[in-house]
Amino acid sequence: MLKMPSVFEPATVPRPGSEPGTKSRDELAPTFHVVCWNDPVNLMVYVTHVFMRVFGWNQAKAQKHMLEVHEKGRSVLAREGAEKAEFYVHQLQQYKLQATMEPAE
Amino acid sequence: MKRVRQTPAGWQFQLLQNEVNYLRLLVGMFPFGEPPPVNISNADQSPEAAERESLLGESLAEHRKQLKQFARKFIAGQKWEQHENGLLLTLDAESRETLLQILNDVRVACWHALGEPESLGFPDASQLQSMTQEMGWRCALEMAGYFECALLEPEE
Repeated sequence: MLKMPSVFEPATVPRPGSEPGTKSRDELAPTFHVVCWNDPVNLMVYVTHVFMRVFGWNQAKAQKHMLEVHEKGRSVLAREGAEKAEFYVHQLQQYKLQATMEPAE
Repeated sequence: MKRVRQTPAGWQFQLLQNEVNYLRLLVGMFPFGEPPPVNISNADQSPEAAERESLLGESLAEHRKQLKQFARKFIAGQKWEQHENGLLLTLDAESRETLLQILNDVRVACWHALGEPESLGFPDASQLQSMTQEMGWRCALEMAGYFECALLEPEE
């Protein structure tokens, strides 16, 4: 006799690619690091402002990444799929920041 | 230049007449120099990266056109209200961003023209005495930075 699921017991239907040990299409798609590189010309206050605008971060987070760029020479700002990483690089370069997208390991 | 008012609609800045002249001079310099080579990735040499780089180049060129339009309008039609201690500049959020981008573009272009020096320390007297073309770029670079800081003055 089949046991019908009750309304409180959602029936789960296995989705293709979701079996244990397999990866979905999204998981297999290449991801990229959006990297901002240090330069001696962009002002710290300006870089902080741009990070807040482009990523919607608060000032503390934007400042943390700005200082990382300043002190370590670069900061990874996001890890995204190709399309979104490209979008961020376009935005950052429109503001004249030295930003690139690098394949994530 | 200092911010005198902030409303949900935007910002109002007060400038002395000389500051207005310098700001107009800088905005009028845009676009200054050739745009630098486009680079979307340091490590990715794939054909996809080359295609992305080409799209980035097109996107930046289009953006530059839009900034140029704004710069022309700013020079020709920006309204300056008289104020007891100077002139008032009113900017909405979008205009402030565009003005910031133009000023920073000029600043970065001056830096390229100066040979991309690693250090931008204050020039010494001997450099100041020879008002060469480089010193003109140097002054424009510093002035652009001054106006950027004023536009981004922390909110109270």
